[in-house]
Amino acid sequence: MLRVVAVAAAALALAGPAAACAPKTSLSYLEGQIMCPTCHTTLDMSEAPAAQQIKTQISRRIAQCWSAKQIETELVGNFGQGILAAPPHKGFDLLAWWLPLGGVLGGALLLAVGVWRWSRTHEPELPETEHETDPETERRLDELLARLD
Amino acid sequence: MTRTLKLTGQTLALAAVAGLLGLLVWRLTHQTHPPKIGGPAPNFALRRIEGTGKLDLASLRGKPVVINFWASWCVPCKGEAKMLEQASRQYRSQGVVFVGVDYHDVTSDARTFLSHHGVTYQTVQDGSGMIGDKYGLTGVPETYFVDRRGRLVGTHIIGTITNQVNAFHSGIRAALDQ
Repeated sequence: MLRVVAVAAAALALAGPAAACAPKTSLSYLEGQIMCPTCHTTLDMSEAPAAQQIKTQISRRIAQCWSAKQIETELVGNFGQGILAAPPHKGFDLLAWWLPLGGVLGGALLLAVGVWRWSRTHEPELPETEHETDPETERRLDELLARLD
Repeated sequence: MTRTLKLTGQTLALAAVAGLLGLLVWRLTHQTHPPKIGGPAPNFALRRIEGTGKLDLASLRGKPVVINFWASWCVPCKGEAKMLEQASRQYRSQGVVFVGVDYHDVTSDARTFLSHHGVTYQTVQDGSGMIGDKYGLTGVPETYFVDRRGRLVGTHIIGTITNQVNAFHSGIRAALDQ
């Protein structure tokens, strides 16, 4: 009886810290960040055995309260950078983030310049000024205005 | 001003087209083709799963080598593990070296697999799958035979060796004979 109590106490003591730690990430989040190495889709899109294995490994690490960053680092060490769905925000990989942005901004700039130039060459013609009145009409108008005064 | 802008735009467009063409040419010239039987076995230097350091295939030149690609998540690989281990013991005295290449696998699961199936021959890890790609792997398991001069010989076995026992032993004999 004493032995059973001692084993239970030891199990509780060991289980305590594990149960106490709060998960720092979720499987559903990481499933979208990690690729299946054999099918080249993210884990959430794959039921391949290799993907299932990685999901199990991630769940194991989440239960051990690893952060998403720690889990990703471990998987990169195991499978290489290709396991990440998005390239990291450092070094040469930064190009993958900045080039599309640069492309969009450059395109917008070109478009703006194009529109500006087009608007300059196709400026709407000003409405024609009033036709000049002939001297006779002008004289008659002056007479009429004078009468009104 | 307008002329400068036009010239800049044209230069940028030309540079973009040239860049894309360059990428296309690079992609076409750097495509990996599966190795041919009779040709050199693609070399690799991969981290050992058990123990430390890397195993360089080139260091085994002068010995017949059996390369088996496997993974712990691969069900058929479990079926052939015992036969591979037996064969490695059977041919050890003749100098044949067996090398397991663990493909796209979690290290801890691979270790469990090796321990569970009592695999004693050296095993390396190809986590990124780069070496598998070099060999033109279509899946796991697959087995290759390399002769003493580092050339691929015999028949490249796709699938388990348990279903292709004759081809397996012929492959080893071919590696020994050269």
